[in-house]
Amino acid sequence: MVQSILDAISLGGLYALAALGLGLVFGVMRLVNFAHGELITIAAYTLVLTAQLPLILSIVLTLLVTSAIAFMMELAIYRRLRGVNPAIMLIASFGLSTVLQRVYEFIFGALPKSAVVAPFLRGAFTVGGVSITISSVITVILAIAILLGMGFLVERTSLGLQLRAAAADFKTARLLGVRSNRLIGAAFVLSGVLATCVAFILVVQNPQVNPYYGLNITILALVGIVIGGISSLRGAALGGFIVGVILSALNTLLGNGRVYAYSWLFLLVLIILLVRPGGLLSKGTELERV
Amino acid sequence: MKHGGLTKFSLQNLLGPIAVLIIMTFFLNRASTSLQLMTQFAICSFMMVLALQVFVGNSGVLSFGHGSFALLGSYVSGMLTAPTNIKSHALALNQLWHFLIPLKTNIYVGLVISALVSGVIAALTGLLLMRLNGLAAGIATFALLGVTYNIFFNNKQLGPGSQALPAVPTITNTYILLVLALAAIVIVYLFNISRSGRSLRATREDPMAAPALGISIFKVRLIAFTFSGLLAGLAGGMYVHVAGTFQVQDYYLEFTFMTLSMLIVGGSASIWGAVVGTILITGVGQILLMMEQHLPIFGVTIGIPLGSRAVIIAITFVAMLLWRSSGVTNGREFSLPRFKRS
Amino acid sequence: MALLEVSNLAAGYGKVEVITDISFSVEPGKSVGIVGPNGVGKSTLLQAIAGGVSASAGSVRLAGLDILGKKPEDIVRLGLSLVPEGRQIFSGLSVKENLALGLTGRKDKKGAGAAIEKMRELFPVLSTHENHQAGMLSGGQQQQLAIARALISEPKVLLLDEPSLGLAPTVIDDVFGLLRQIIDMGTAVVIVEQRANLITTFADETIVVRDGHIQSRLTPANAANADSLERSYFGAGE
Repeated sequence: MVQSILDAISLGGLYALAALGLGLVFGVMRLVNFAHGELITIAAYTLVLTAQLPLILSIVLTLLVTSAIAFMMELAIYRRLRGVNPAIMLIASFGLSTVLQRVYEFIFGALPKSAVVAPFLRGAFTVGGVSITISSVITVILAIAILLGMGFLVERTSLGLQLRAAAADFKTARLLGVRSNRLIGAAFVLSGVLATCVAFILVVQNPQVNPYYGLNITILALVGIVIGGISSLRGAALGGFIVGVILSALNTLLGNGRVYAYSWLFLLVLIILLVRPGGLLSKGTELERV
Repeated sequence: MKHGGLTKFSLQNLLGPIAVLIIMTFFLNRASTSLQLMTQFAICSFMMVLALQVFVGNSGVLSFGHGSFALLGSYVSGMLTAPTNIKSHALALNQLWHFLIPLKTNIYVGLVISALVSGVIAALTGLLLMRLNGLAAGIATFALLGVTYNIFFNNKQLGPGSQALPAVPTITNTYILLVLALAAIVIVYLFNISRSGRSLRATREDPMAAPALGISIFKVRLIAFTFSGLLAGLAGGMYVHVAGTFQVQDYYLEFTFMTLSMLIVGGSASIWGAVVGTILITGVGQILLMMEQHLPIFGVTIGIPLGSRAVIIAITFVAMLLWRSSGVTNGREFSLPRFKRS
Repeated sequence: MALLEVSNLAAGYGKVEVITDISFSVEPGKSVGIVGPNGVGKSTLLQAIAGGVSASAGSVRLAGLDILGKKPEDIVRLGLSLVPEGRQIFSGLSVKENLALGLTGRKDKKGAGAAIEKMRELFPVLSTHENHQAGMLSGGQQQQLAIARALISEPKVLLLDEPSLGLAPTVIDDVFGLLRQIIDMGTAVVIVEQRANLITTFADETIVVRDGHIQSRLTPANAANADSLERSYFGAGE
């Protein structure tokens, strides 16, 4: 029972991180970056392929690679699509996601790459007669730490202020001097950092990395930002958290029917959207102008 | 995406799509057995792209979920036409609900029912989805695709689950498929120039003004979504009778990406775009496939590494979006070149 | 040499050109008013100067430097700030945060502290509400915030789009009193106003825009005579 609750919170935290990565980019560009999943995938590949190196080095390398690719995504593709209508941006990001999946398959092959990452995080320990997995505890701690860190960055730094202003009204922010290219680049790099965190947590538990590794979590994170309220970073994280908790609860409660957990989740999400089309944190009647 | 300015019936708009389809089918169908099969698949893909054009092209709302309707159509027609003894004895179907076994009909009834079932499901899901704004709807349709895949992949009582449904009867005469496609072109054209179609395009251009004009965004989107779901179901039925088998994985991400590519590369705003896109992507895909297998094309052999075909097609798609988001046809229907009067 | 020189400026949205040929200039410590019927493109004009929309023809010179085609965030750093129509303050952020955003446009980061102090002096009401959400301020206070936010980067040229919009007459007097102070401090100010009678007596020169080009130029002297002329153009009470 305790483990189930812990599982739910840790999965919630994981999905909050994933959704926040998406939310950052959406905030500054009104772009839903499907290819965020491919950032998670490349981070996972890098972690697994550098697993023989000391963990710190492996993580730093992964951060660099993932952030670089995120930055390149913006520079090479999304920059040319600024101001284009949202449907085009959405399908372009879907296209980019597909490109990267196929490139990964071309480079790494379709068979999974695997290695043990951070083996000290596996296993369980007992507290008061109850067995608890180390990874779920670490996930919760890590998620809280990163979310707090991001919260600090967003609420108390100049960069965070600019991000929040840009998310509210990018045009006016520019008129005040906010540098659009730098800010968007920063948002992408940050999303790369978050993707790395997500990949690390995933890889510890499931080290079989294939070209579609980040796909599932991204779809669910997308669902998360839609129900949390697409217009705020807090909403994104909250939505992701809720999706993670519900998914975990469904897995526990459905027993044999847990293969259908996704379907139940989507059904719940659709119901939430019907009642609150703007997301849970919205006033209930406003629709994002898209 | 540029808008197609269709407002009234103009025969020349239909001329291009119909003529091109007939001519290409005629020549490719007799060229070789493999090209014949490719042509049959291409016609099914065209039907699918047409379905997408009806909704995505007219409303400007992206749908990643139409693969669900194709999946449903394929499943329904496949299950209804597969021999009863296969359904009762095949290993893949050993947990099938018993009442599904004796249900059997011929291919044509199967196609009609698959279209209807998909249409109904599209209407029902549309009731929920069309209430959402464009972005949420797009993501929700992705969820729809995921749910359909999730259910059919795991459920062994409805169908073969992750395995293939064997022994589905095939349509061997390409021209039967062609006739269906041509009929669909005319019907879609009529829809596009109808009041419904025009109202829908008005909501795409200016969603704020539409209610002032007495247009209910929800209603026009729902109508188009239902119609396009119906067509997608029909396309799925056609697919299953070309492939001779039904498999869930054939209607998931790869399928969604390919059909959306055909729509976008050709140009989502017109039927002519659907034609051009299907031909281009199928053609390029075929050529790249031969290059991957180091087969000669018109006497010349250029080899490309395995797996690069998939990458090239995807890159082409993104490149087209960056270059010209309204596609090769630039949002226009087919029209005859104007000759200057001398 | 004029601080701001606009020559033959044309701009619009997509294919629709809203303004076709606008020319005027402003000296330091002077003000120019822009009036004209609704929808004639006055906002577009200011946005085109500040870099918010792209112009199709003409030139804009700031202290001799060509700024047409530059990004708005670069133009701010060169010393031109726009207070947009409707004020566009970030209602979800605090007053302090709104002002801090204005600081990003400062070329000289070192004088930030002094600039903040100066704003506190000019706009005492903002100090009292420093930590409140900007959305909770009254219309007049929001207008002050919008102006302060633009001023905090110490621009040489300040553009204002309909500063009197939605404000009560006494508040408008306060705002214009403030603007007079700013002008006296040496800033060149360009004000777009719907209410012609407000601006024609205030500004050193007022240009009347109609059909995308300049119809006439007025000064406070001949504005009194032209008053009835304008009324006939714009309708009484507008």
